Amino acid sequence: MAIMMPASDQAVLARRAEIVAALRAIVPGEGVIDTPAEMRAYESDGLTAYRQPPMVVVLPDTTEQVSLILKYCAGQGIKVVPRGSGTSLSGGALPLEDGVLLGLGKFKRIREIDFDNRIVVTEPGVTNLAISQAVAHAGFYYAPDPSSQIACSIGGNVAENSGGVHCLKYGMTTNNVLGCEIVLMSGEILRIGGKGCENPGYDLMGVITGSEGLLGVITEITVRILQKPETARALMVGFAEVEAAGECVARIIGAGIIPGGMEMMDKPAIHAAEAFVHAGYPLDVEALLIIELDGPKIEVDELITRVETIARGCGSVTLQISNSEAERNLFWAGRKAAFPAVGRISPDYLCMDGTIPRGALPKALARIRELGEKYQLGCANVFHAGDGNLHPLILYDANKPGEIERAEAFGADILRACVEFGGVLTGEHGVGIEKRDLMPDMFSEIDLNQQQRLKCAFDSQGLLNPGKVFPTLHRCAELGRMHVHAGKLAFPDLPRF
Amino acid sequence: MDTLKVRDAKDVEEVVRAAIANEQPLEIIGHGSKRGIGHAMATNAVLDLSALNAVTSYEPNELIITLQAGAPLGDVLSLIDAKNQQFAFEPMNTAPLLGTPALGTIGGMIAAGLAGPRRIRAGGARDHLLGAHAVSGFGDSFKTGGKVVKNVTGYDLCKLLAGSWGTLSVMTEVTLKVMPKPEAERTLLLRGLDDAAANKAMTVALGSPFDVSGAAHLPKSAFRAKTDGLGDLAGQGEALTVLRLEGITASAAHRANSLRELLAPFGTASLIEDAASSALWGTLRDVLPFAAGGALGTWPVWRIVCPPASGAALGTQLARETGGDVIYDWGGGLIWAALPPKGDAHAPAVRMRANAVGGHATLIRAAEDVRRDVDVFHPQAPGVAALSERVRASFDPKAVLNRGRLSRGAVA
Repeated sequence: MAIMMPASDQAVLARRAEIVAALRAIVPGEGVIDTPAEMRAYESDGLTAYRQPPMVVVLPDTTEQVSLILKYCAGQGIKVVPRGSGTSLSGGALPLEDGVLLGLGKFKRIREIDFDNRIVVTEPGVTNLAISQAVAHAGFYYAPDPSSQIACSIGGNVAENSGGVHCLKYGMTTNNVLGCEIVLMSGEILRIGGKGCENPGYDLMGVITGSEGLLGVITEITVRILQKPETARALMVGFAEVEAAGECVARIIGAGIIPGGMEMMDKPAIHAAEAFVHAGYPLDVEALLIIELDGPKIEVDELITRVETIARGCGSVTLQISNSEAERNLFWAGRKAAFPAVGRISPDYLCMDGTIPRGALPKALARIRELGEKYQLGCANVFHAGDGNLHPLILYDANKPGEIERAEAFGADILRACVEFGGVLTGEHGVGIEKRDLMPDMFSEIDLNQQQRLKCAFDSQGLLNPGKVFPTLHRCAELGRMHVHAGKLAFPDLPRF
Repeated sequence: MDTLKVRDAKDVEEVVRAAIANEQPLEIIGHGSKRGIGHAMATNAVLDLSALNAVTSYEPNELIITLQAGAPLGDVLSLIDAKNQQFAFEPMNTAPLLGTPALGTIGGMIAAGLAGPRRIRAGGARDHLLGAHAVSGFGDSFKTGGKVVKNVTGYDLCKLLAGSWGTLSVMTEVTLKVMPKPEAERTLLLRGLDDAAANKAMTVALGSPFDVSGAAHLPKSAFRAKTDGLGDLAGQGEALTVLRLEGITASAAHRANSLRELLAPFGTASLIEDAASSALWGTLRDVLPFAAGGALGTWPVWRIVCPPASGAALGTQLARETGGDVIYDWGGGLIWAALPPKGDAHAPAVRMRANAVGGHATLIRAAEDVRRDVDVFHPQAPGVAALSERVRASFDPKAVLNRGRLSRGAVA
């Protein structure tokens, strides 16, 4: 394992039996799992290259139990790793050898559906898709749609601030969540926000969203729901050059059109997807755009025409427009199956997740090509082109000595290039352990210290999900220390009025 | 009083460090347009950001703009308007309501986070702040977020800075999302509905697939004085319920027709377009019926946020109990209440009613002596208040930034 996790606390490990018993007193019956065979299901999340059995797994089913577990662990100095469905692609739910793995899988109830206020109050273990299904009969849905939506939990979505294909138009999780019930590491239960559009005071919900399970354990969430658009149609456009596809994306946005989704695939990704699902993708193009417009039919038809004109103006070499739901779904089939399709052509692959300014797309692709040559590894690229979110899939074979290391170095260089081009390390998968050690490439020590001070405001002992997000852990007392400047400074020499 | 006019982020660091060393809290201002909101601050030194006013970069095709915090909002709005773009959250111009001359700065716009009617569809200031450079109460410059829309790298400190009223850090530069302006807008007008019926009509409209981007209600009493921007609409002296549809022309017109049919049980809606519609929504955004220069100019004004479907019950009872006036926005989820002058600005009634439905209330306009005795910002549950204070201290342990602005009794 290339990533170092915090050293295990031997004193805690020595008291394992006692800790298991204490947890059983809080969560009776099958809610505490401590045999190696049964714990195996929890030793990894979606970042399967990293595995670590936890000390013990606990699966509470009430907020009170969560509170008691955290209070007990805080009192005993025991680390806790929260987990939803375990679909994180960045290792956010990777267990710790000396930590309690706190699974929220039993929080499976939707508590309230309120169509008049257009919200759903749900427990965190409910899947993303189940929320949309629960309100579909009234024409509503929950907008963020990560590709794992059939399995991923809404609690995990909040922890990771998940995105999806449609977040270009409808926003990420943070733009669609109104409130939560959260349990702090101390065991304290707080309610943040509610059914209103805006919360009083500091926007705690905003900073909890995307905090990767480091600030608290969420036990209830209020999300807003939207009416489903009347219709959706898609264009599938091929280009002989990546630059032309990039230009097309820029011109669509420049024309004031915000598509529901705008995806790009490069040649290796097109070929892999076509071989897998036979969606009718053109094989002789360098880049393929799938552009979806949604809304009232009259609007969609008009925008399809406008986008078609733009695409032709950018020199498209193939262009198809969906005329039925079946056709639209076929356009998407290859894109949606891109990851497993790549899984068929390569024994293993690493899925990266950087964001760049849209305009840097051709430059970034050229760099990825160069890096591929340097590391002697293939790479298939799929992008959420509308918002500049890249998902390079690095192809490697874990059975060949040295390949995983090369693949990881390749991936790290891609993410550094994203930062160099004015972008960021992660657009939607989270930092977790995967990108943790790259954080200093994007943030200074001062930036990271300010983030960790915030962590201290929620979890002063640093017991909740340590080892994730931050490459270096500091004690809260150390972070809180002020610079002592010599003597008493006067106000500097500035214009005064 | 010392006013320290900073030229760059380095100056800001120096001023804050000196403030820490001298235990001398600072008031942070841009143009000072919102100085009248909040409690009196324990300071006699002002950190003035108005000279930190450059447009760092504007990339219309990337839909982002990077600005220094002191950039004048009016100039920035003109700049992006020339590219047919806008801040989709419709930042409120507080000048008419507060009776101040200035529109304010970008930093003030974010720090106050007062979003207009499109909040229900496009989100608030917090949803449009992508990245920031700021100086914390440790006297250190830090950055958070980035210059791209899709970013989950590290904690999203932007969310905390938006709406923090300058109490966490001094923002020096911010990157904001801009959006294309809609090609057309249509507004449906329903007349004569009482608050409860209007709330229902707005709920139906917002629960429809017609992508309503504004839903407001002006009760009859809102027309007792002449208001700019309402023009002939006010002339008929009836309550007015308004619903906005924006987008490409054909779509806005089509949806307006469909929505009119859907709302037929509430009456026959009339229609206004483009310039007339835009003037109406500007009036609502800036709450002009309660303007400082108008008939209710001396009345305290509350901004109450609540679950949208609870709006009418809350607003009607509050107006009846106090003899005040209310205006509804956000489909009922935002109530502006101008209440007759009283020493406590009717705070117990306002807060009791807001609490009863899980809402909260901010006293946006009130005389200084009223603000001495009444909590301007909504008191929070003890656990949340304690966490918020720890969060504040994690940015500014010595409370040198806008000390005392957010809570009574914080003045040390």
